[in-house]
Amino acid sequence: MESFTNLMYGFSIALDPINLMYVFIGVFAGTLIGMLPGLGPMSALALMIPITFNLNPATGLILMAGVYYGAIFGGSTSSILLNAPGVAGTVATSFDGYPMAQKGMAGKALAIAAYASFVGGTISIIGLMFIAPLLSKVAVSFGPAEYFALMVLGLTAVVSLSDKSLVKGLIAAIMGMMISIVGMDLQTGTERYTFGSIELLEGINFLVVALGIFALAEVFYMLLSGNKSTPKRNAIGSLKLSMAEVKDMAAPVGRSSVLGFFTGVLPGAGATIGSFLGYSMEKRLAKDGDTFGKGNIKGVAAPESANNAACGGSFVPLLTLGVPGSGTTAVLLGALLVMGVTPGPMMLEQRPDVFWGVIASMYIGNIFLLVLNLPLIPYIAKILDAPRPLLLSLILIFCMVGVYGLSFSSFDLVLLLAFGLIGLVMRLYGFPAAPMILGLILGALMEESMRRALQISGGDWSIFIDKPISLVLLIIAALSLGLPVVKKMIQKARA
Amino acid sequence: MTRLNINQILALVLVIFSVGYLWMAFQIPVFPIPRPIDSDAFPKILGICLLVLSVLLFFEKQPKTENASQQEDVEPVTESSVTGMQNPKVQVLGTAIAILAYAFLIEPLGFLLSSILLGVGLAYWFGYRQHGVNFATVGSIVLILYLLMSKVMGIYLPTGVLPF
Repeated sequence: MESFTNLMYGFSIALDPINLMYVFIGVFAGTLIGMLPGLGPMSALALMIPITFNLNPATGLILMAGVYYGAIFGGSTSSILLNAPGVAGTVATSFDGYPMAQKGMAGKALAIAAYASFVGGTISIIGLMFIAPLLSKVAVSFGPAEYFALMVLGLTAVVSLSDKSLVKGLIAAIMGMMISIVGMDLQTGTERYTFGSIELLEGINFLVVALGIFALAEVFYMLLSGNKSTPKRNAIGSLKLSMAEVKDMAAPVGRSSVLGFFTGVLPGAGATIGSFLGYSMEKRLAKDGDTFGKGNIKGVAAPESANNAACGGSFVPLLTLGVPGSGTTAVLLGALLVMGVTPGPMMLEQRPDVFWGVIASMYIGNIFLLVLNLPLIPYIAKILDAPRPLLLSLILIFCMVGVYGLSFSSFDLVLLLAFGLIGLVMRLYGFPAAPMILGLILGALMEESMRRALQISGGDWSIFIDKPISLVLLIIAALSLGLPVVKKMIQKARA
Repeated sequence: MTRLNINQILALVLVIFSVGYLWMAFQIPVFPIPRPIDSDAFPKILGICLLVLSVLLFFEKQPKTENASQQEDVEPVTESSVTGMQNPKVQVLGTAIAILAYAFLIEPLGFLLSSILLGVGLAYWFGYRQHGVNFATVGSIVLILYLLMSKVMGIYLPTGVLPF
């Protein structure tokens, strides 16, 4: 009952006309950006952060949640129409979505994606509403040692679950943490790695790094791969679904939504793994499993509901613990910090407007996706026909304006270029970008927790293993790193 | 002597970087009041971790699939038959130079003029030849961004040579 009352309070905030307008802007812009191949929710969120500069935190986060949802939906659209997923989380959608589009059923596939996303989002919001307050209560008892261990787990989980090399993932995470400590140490006032530069005294802004290694690097990559022609897309056709089709997708959507939500809650898992799990689960359960990959509607419904549910799930650790479980929620955390809000267990009590306002607005964002974006999708999809050179130049302008508008510093524009080139090298040689952004966001928080814990213990490092919660979290972190190694060894032994 | 693969070259670069990073960590001054842990501890841990990981990267076997994907990634660059302005490497280099130029020209020229120049110029550089559409699209988007930021959000943007 208490959750229901709180949700009503959240709706009273989210239904404010200004906030409604920002939900719409967020969902619409997120869909547009997410649709562009290569630009996923992380780029979409980073590109939209400058708009939140002067907004109050509740409105800012409401906008960001809309962008997140919209970008995932936009990614599905390019997966279905072009077989070019804008985001990893919608790769599984293309397995059956694109064959459907080739058969002239792109509209149906898009409608299924929208309905499945709506149900997945709704179920995840219900889960978030009930689990988040419970987790907040547990997290209140966490001390700095537990937080440090939790952040170590968050980082290792993201690294171990990425499909790239474990060592490269860890290197990216360490590099992110190294960037995070540039500037003046707030505890002692000592300068670190500033090279005497006044511009670096306040540290490197996360937006500069995020836009550099995601958006700018993606533009460079597209230029380098010579892929500047406008891709041919399939016609959309009718968006209507028959009753039999709705019945067919009901059970897969329900199951995958629950699975997706819990996958999203786990650190490191998120939308990509959620969607693949949902897809493979339904492929096994379905009587017509052999038609998966050839345009089966369940093959679109399952990953779409799972990835949207995972998005909602990933808000649980972000809002209750203040620890992002994925690269995308790390960008969201960065945006929150820019707005002066530090999420964590106290957020529920100190900023209920932000907490419940966001939950309610996520629901409204889902409705907007369904009611506005779905009918508009034939028009929105026209962006895919826009000349690629013009689009690339506009993305660059958005990056530059975003960075300059934040700091009014030409130096930051030069840094943006440097991170764009670093991102390009990472992309070319298989270094994942998400651990870097997570390391960047968590680095400063990890150092603070580590130092506070060691101050409490008088410099005794055993504090991290003396506390049971911290010990368990660190063991899980170590296991999560060991898992890919064991998996490889088993595969070798089998071969 | 066996030729180094790209991972090993990157590992060597990272080893040099981490040694430099560690050297700088040892130069971080000690805080006058004794504390259980000082500003240099975290950077030292990070430097050591990066050093160890770089060594691991050097000796890491490149999985065949990774090689394949990397080749797939790099191939368009190395084997590109396109020459001159349309060569992908030249395109990236030109874009980087344009961004640098923008960074230094935004204040003297002003936001509006420099952003339109950058946007229109880059679209042309990337091969877009419909100048009217290019100018109208970039110009209107930059103008909207300028009005939104300066008039609605109250963010100061340099006017430069233009009076507004």
